[in-house]
Amino acid sequence: MIAKRAALTVLLLTLAVVHVAPSRAADALADAAERYRAYAIEGIGSALAGARTLRACAAAKDLAGAKKAWLSARAGWERSEVFTAGFVPELDAQIDAWPNADSGFHAIEAKLFGAARTDVERDAGALVQHLDELHARLRDMPLSPQGLLDGTVRLAYEVGESKADGGESRISGTSLDDMRNNVAGVEFAWRTIFADALHAADAKLADQVEERIAQLKAVTAAPDLPHVDVRALRRASEELVITLQAASSKLGLRRPTLEAQSR
Amino acid sequence: MSFCQLSGLVAAIALLIGCLHQRVLAFPVDGDQTTLPAKTELNEDALRRPREVFHSEIVGRRSELIKLGNLAFSSPSILGAVAQRAGISCETCHVNGAGNAKFFVPGMSTRPGNFDTTGALFNPKADNGALDPVRIPSLRGARYLAPYGNDGRMASLRDFVHNVIVNEFAGPEPQPAILDAIVAYIQDIDFLPNPSLGPAGRLAGQVSESERRGEALFSKPFAHDPSLSCATCHVPSAAFVDHMQHDVGSGGLFKTPTLRNADFNAPYFHDGRFDTYDQVVAHFDRVFELGLSAQDQKDLVAYLTAIGDGLQPYEQGAGAALKEINDFASLLTTAIPAGDKDVVALAVDTIGGELRELTERYPDRKDTSVSGGEEQRANARAALKEIVLLLRRIDMAVGEGRTADAAADYRNYRHLMAAAIPSLLASAERWSLFNATVHDRHYEALRQVMQSRHMSQ
Repeated sequence: MIAKRAALTVLLLTLAVVHVAPSRAADALADAAERYRAYAIEGIGSALAGARTLRACAAAKDLAGAKKAWLSARAGWERSEVFTAGFVPELDAQIDAWPNADSGFHAIEAKLFGAARTDVERDAGALVQHLDELHARLRDMPLSPQGLLDGTVRLAYEVGESKADGGESRISGTSLDDMRNNVAGVEFAWRTIFADALHAADAKLADQVEERIAQLKAVTAAPDLPHVDVRALRRASEELVITLQAASSKLGLRRPTLEAQSR
Repeated sequence: MSFCQLSGLVAAIALLIGCLHQRVLAFPVDGDQTTLPAKTELNEDALRRPREVFHSEIVGRRSELIKLGNLAFSSPSILGAVAQRAGISCETCHVNGAGNAKFFVPGMSTRPGNFDTTGALFNPKADNGALDPVRIPSLRGARYLAPYGNDGRMASLRDFVHNVIVNEFAGPEPQPAILDAIVAYIQDIDFLPNPSLGPAGRLAGQVSESERRGEALFSKPFAHDPSLSCATCHVPSAAFVDHMQHDVGSGGLFKTPTLRNADFNAPYFHDGRFDTYDQVVAHFDRVFELGLSAQDQKDLVAYLTAIGDGLQPYEQGAGAALKEINDFASLLTTAIPAGDKDVVALAVDTIGGELRELTERYPDRKDTSVSGGEEQRANARAALKEIVLLLRRIDMAVGEGRTADAAADYRNYRHLMAAAIPSLLASAERWSLFNATVHDRHYEALRQVMQSRHMSQ
């Protein structure tokens, strides 16, 4: 009980500074969130297509083809993390489990890129099934601006995490690609959903968001992961999150939380 | 020593090194996209960490100077670009001011616990073209242990620290105040207390017969040269050193290392060639023809173990991490009103990095090797992330000259860190990597994934 009271205390304290004012732009934001749906469907659809190709390549024992398909599927998934982090975080355990690669992308990555094995049909089949279900659900799933802001902020914070150990996709050597796709996902969500509304409400704050996204893009444009300026990355990531947190009240939204269950 | 004996010794050492090399595990640094070579072992996943005892806290409290030094010591930003990108700080090797027996960098180490400070990885200009790694020493009691360096080449600790930063790790010229602070911090790290040691380095308390015999042997003149004994160099005293360099048959002149807390300082010798006291005693018996019986050797080992002991050598759990973080953050009490952007930035970057690492001790839902406590883990992670952001807000505010805003955020930080954060972390601890079972399961999963990579190579 003490721990729960403490949890409440910390959340109340961090939320205390926030005013959620009714926003005239609420409807416009909801419309904008709807425009994001096409992007999410495309991203998950791309991941699904890649996973299907991967399954076929695995069946044909085509290692090179399977690796290529994995990379394609992975890119679609990472681009969509604003959506997945905000709306279906529970799928992470099935699709993106780490480090225990019993299922999902990293299980397949370990076999393809690590052990040079193609016996991933079962795992690829499960990946196809999960992505297929998600793809279908996406058509009717309510996409609230709040959920998308939550997802944007969570992903912006995650981008700033150290990859000095090689990152999550260290076996395929594509952790930097993950980061770039994450930043692309953040930028798309920002431009599609929030940019116009925030420019209208607080142009200076909107400029600050764009400045930080540009910084993230510049840092992740490094030629490879070892040359990423970790300090600049963290700074840009955290400043972007803080700026988006400040923007939430201007957008008539609640202060975004950094973990799905902690609202 | 005859040529055959020498050859045998070299072969044995090579075999030992080879065996140890194979024991090195391929995590946590891995992949071909890392600043440090694949299979680098930093031991950052260790369940427990060496306990740090500060002299100033015994007599009063740590000064701001010492805390600033500790902060800089823990910050990659005072080192060069490669170290910064790899997240390496002084603290990486000297964990809580002790050593790091598992530290291993392929190409720069020949065994866990040593490192080539004149290799090319961190500063190509310092590369001497030879793989000549030296043991990573503990810094406990460093103020008693001049001269500095394994060969005692520098009389001044300040000069030694400067050389490490600028030459070994290609860091920028440190501000004099930062250099002073690091020296003050290192000089404040005490030996762990050892109740088995009395005045003048004599055994005290409950002493076994074997330890007593070992103590006598330690001061017994060597047969071939009665002017020498173990105690001639390791003078029984507060530190068991003579501040001199000697040739003990290990390939040159090296300074006498302390025996205080040495139970926790393996590997031994300047290059870390020995893992145990047994090996060390056997070496001296052989090189100095001491004629020790098996019992004599056991007695000497018992004695070394007794004088090398220390109370509570390790600490574990989030509490220790939070204490250090709060110590660092306390520098903001004066840095914010003073508008000291450099200290604020150093504190925010360093503490933020440590908080992000602490966050990963509470696995998220992607880590299916952990079951239960999902809500508690999420709350702990969310709270720690909020603290990271609170600190960044302080950095931003000070950078923009908004010291009043920074001060308000700092008050909020202190309020949260006083009770709410420790309580949230405590409620999640049983599902965190501070729990040995969860820890082992998590790293076993990681190890399995990494092994798949190396199976194909």
